Amino acid sequence: MTSTTAAPRGVDGLAPTRPGPTDAAHAPSPIVTSLGFVARKLGLFALTLWAAVTVNFLLPRLMPGTPADAALAKLAQNGPVTEATKAAIEAQLGVPTGNIVEQYFAYLHQVVTLDFGISYTFYPQSVGELVSAALPYTLVLVGLVTVVAFILGTLLGVLAAWKRGTWLDSVPTLVGSFMSAFPYFWTALLLLFFAGYVLRLFPTSGAYGPTAQPNLSFEFFGDALYHGVLPALTILITSLGGWILGMRNTMISTLGDDYVTFAEANGLKPRTIALRYAARNAILPNLTSFGLALGGVVGGSILVEQVFGYPGIGYLLFNAVTNQDYPLMQALFLMITVSVLIANFLVDILYGVLDPRTRR
Amino acid sequence: MTPTPFSQTPPAANTTLLEVHDLSVHYGYGAGATKAVQNVSFRLAHGEFVGLVGESGSGKSTLGFALTGLSKPPAHIEKGRILFGGKDIASLDAEQLREQRHGGIAMVLQSGMNALNPVRSIRNHFVDIFRAHGHVERSRWTARATELIGKVELTPQVLDRFPGELSGGMRQRVSIALALSLEPELMVFDEPTTALDVLVQHAVMNTIIELQKSENFTAILISHDLGIVLESAQRVMVMHEGRIVEDAPARQILQNPQAPYTRMLLSHYADPRAEVVELPGFADRQQRKAEGASRTEAATHTPTVSPRTRRTDQHAMVVENVSKIYPAPRRGEAPVRAVDNVSFTLEPGAALALVGASGSGKSTIAKLITAVEKPTSGSIRFGDLDVGKLNRRHFRRLHRDVQMVFQDPYSALNPLHTVEYALTRPVINFTGLTGTDARRRVLELLDIVGLSPVEEFAAKLPHQLSGGQRQRVVIARALASDPQVIIADEPVSMLDVSLRAGVLALLEDLREQWGVSLLYITHDLLSARVVTDNIMVLNGGAVVERGVTADVLQNPQDDYTIRLLDAIPNPRKVVA
Repeated sequence: MTSTTAAPRGVDGLAPTRPGPTDAAHAPSPIVTSLGFVARKLGLFALTLWAAVTVNFLLPRLMPGTPADAALAKLAQNGPVTEATKAAIEAQLGVPTGNIVEQYFAYLHQVVTLDFGISYTFYPQSVGELVSAALPYTLVLVGLVTVVAFILGTLLGVLAAWKRGTWLDSVPTLVGSFMSAFPYFWTALLLLFFAGYVLRLFPTSGAYGPTAQPNLSFEFFGDALYHGVLPALTILITSLGGWILGMRNTMISTLGDDYVTFAEANGLKPRTIALRYAARNAILPNLTSFGLALGGVVGGSILVEQVFGYPGIGYLLFNAVTNQDYPLMQALFLMITVSVLIANFLVDILYGVLDPRTRR
Repeated sequence: MTPTPFSQTPPAANTTLLEVHDLSVHYGYGAGATKAVQNVSFRLAHGEFVGLVGESGSGKSTLGFALTGLSKPPAHIEKGRILFGGKDIASLDAEQLREQRHGGIAMVLQSGMNALNPVRSIRNHFVDIFRAHGHVERSRWTARATELIGKVELTPQVLDRFPGELSGGMRQRVSIALALSLEPELMVFDEPTTALDVLVQHAVMNTIIELQKSENFTAILISHDLGIVLESAQRVMVMHEGRIVEDAPARQILQNPQAPYTRMLLSHYADPRAEVVELPGFADRQQRKAEGASRTEAATHTPTVSPRTRRTDQHAMVVENVSKIYPAPRRGEAPVRAVDNVSFTLEPGAALALVGASGSGKSTIAKLITAVEKPTSGSIRFGDLDVGKLNRRHFRRLHRDVQMVFQDPYSALNPLHTVEYALTRPVINFTGLTGTDARRRVLELLDIVGLSPVEEFAAKLPHQLSGGQRQRVVIARALASDPQVIIADEPVSMLDVSLRAGVLALLEDLREQWGVSLLYITHDLLSARVVTDNIMVLNGGAVVERGVTADVLQNPQDDYTIRLLDAIPNPRKVVA
């Protein structure tokens, strides 16, 4: 048998002649692999962005008529419309010129220069101005709270799974699922009523006080923060439970995995096992939901912003839809699409950083 | 070095390293508790290599986990002591237990494939251990890790790889190196090679045996395979239903086994190269042919009904110059030639073994014959069907005649449906029987595969059946369409040895009595010897050797066949 002991090892991927995973000369360096990975994801991002922009261009044009036609039709219900009125409305709302290809390139040019025209509702403000005024409030309020909720919920979930069966498990799990069962707007109304109206702890509407000047002073930031507490709390309360439960459940399943048992058998410190072995693997599936939540930041805050009269994107969108403000709507829909794409791109990159298996 | 445990006398055999007193491990508490390990006592001397053998459910892994302090609820040590270096493992608290793992007891897990953290590099696995115990200075981390990885015959480049980039055998070697990094006195190997390919298994076992000598640790090898254990261990403990039924030197176990259970286990081993190969329930194939007799009484099951419902015509499966080439897995690599110009004919009622290690193309051939995959070139004919060019609409015709029996009976049945449901579906789909006729047929099928009382088995759910019974249900399901060809892909490799013979005997019955032809895909040459007439050995997708099974195995010509034969763990080989 002496002669056979050496031979079978070749099958094990160890023979030097066979290019296998051990053969370092053939394997690309980790840096080249990661650069390639980012480049691939970036290319994919650019492609989907282009597709989204194009769909955003095509959809309104699939509808019959123009905004001017719609406005005129409405006016016509109250009696005949004069030629002058028609000309005025068409001048105001604009009539498409040129064929569809020319329109498309003109549109692309507008998108690149962020020129989305004039809002009907907030005439004569430009859509660009409106959006850039509203965006910071939504991004900071909803975006920050979403990230905080994810981090906090994940940490609590890790703790709950690691201390399974103790109060550290039962309290966050129970409270979390209880709180996330409330509808968004109902939590908002409760907070508004008790913390805002009864106890008068926090202002009940707006992003800043009536006398504040929106500028970069500390005074204004303090005021904005003060106004943001209730909406932030609403989002935190309703989303935290989901993160706790999601992380707890995936972590409980990774705690049963063989690599955790083996790490234990090797006497690693409990902290290392909990964080670097169990939690590190458990967080991966939750990143997908985090990406979805991030993508929903821009568009998904309509209810909260409406209840608190908060001048963000959601508030703007609500106004745009109720007033048939086409330029504003189109710009906002594009914003929402782009923000979902950016969030997905970020999560894809994050995945690549956290999971070596996705880098290939 | 050749593993010849009998020539070795264990060094310092008298000093006790581990002492287990009256140990019982239960799952759950009270009357409903499962008593996995019952009143086990033994003593282990320094430097010993002890095998712990038993079939699934014997409690051997539970015992291994208890010894290493890894029992997890609901498993718990009900009573008894585990004395290791003067301390009772069973009564240590978590931190004491953790600290003793350096220089104490290390464990290599059964599923070494999954024992590594998929998101951490191999280097970091070592670093985590060094950091946890502080027994290697930071400046020596890389040097020590390189040294350890070298001991398991891997190159240092492996350190910068992630587990997903390594083969199963390499991962198991990494696990062993990690366990070694603890500088353990005692290593517990729990089925260290079970999930690996035969040749890899052989290579990894040799590494373990050599390491045990060079590193001077005491080893417990837990395995269901008495052959592997007898090849490596000096002393063997046989476990059955939670108790150690025999504890003796390996030679004595082999030559003069005392416990009936040990004798039963041993009776299922034979050298497939021998002149006469007999297993329980199987007389030697050649002799049987000469005498024209059927198998011995015990295994012959005589069903009261015929499995044939309508069939009178019989076709051969003719495979001609078939190749299957898969596109390159990554850019810049060569396409994969999974099957390379293979031809054979499977006559009605014949039994052909398709043998080879993992990746040799066995399973691809099964996929081609069942039209799951289409051949790149060559033709597969079955009667008037051109299997290679069959389109979806004609699958039904093929699958009425050609059925598969899968390797893993545990995942081949839907756990939510009863046996009756699992069998009724194909009966309705293929035979057109409905209502009570279909039910009658289902019960007949159960009778054919020897699951009686049939009514009782029909109502059971898969989890209420043993592995062997499940595999019988899978076979019954394959029979539901009244097929002419059964392709059995490693049908017994997941089963305990004591259950294997029954399933093999069933396949044999179907062939002999009902003329079903059998394509038997396996890496297990012994079972190939007892159930097939002809054999084809595959390597790298190509047929390297073919002929009458007994002739090929007794007088192998190809180097690869010889290596496969050498890799079979066989207790008798050690003595001979």
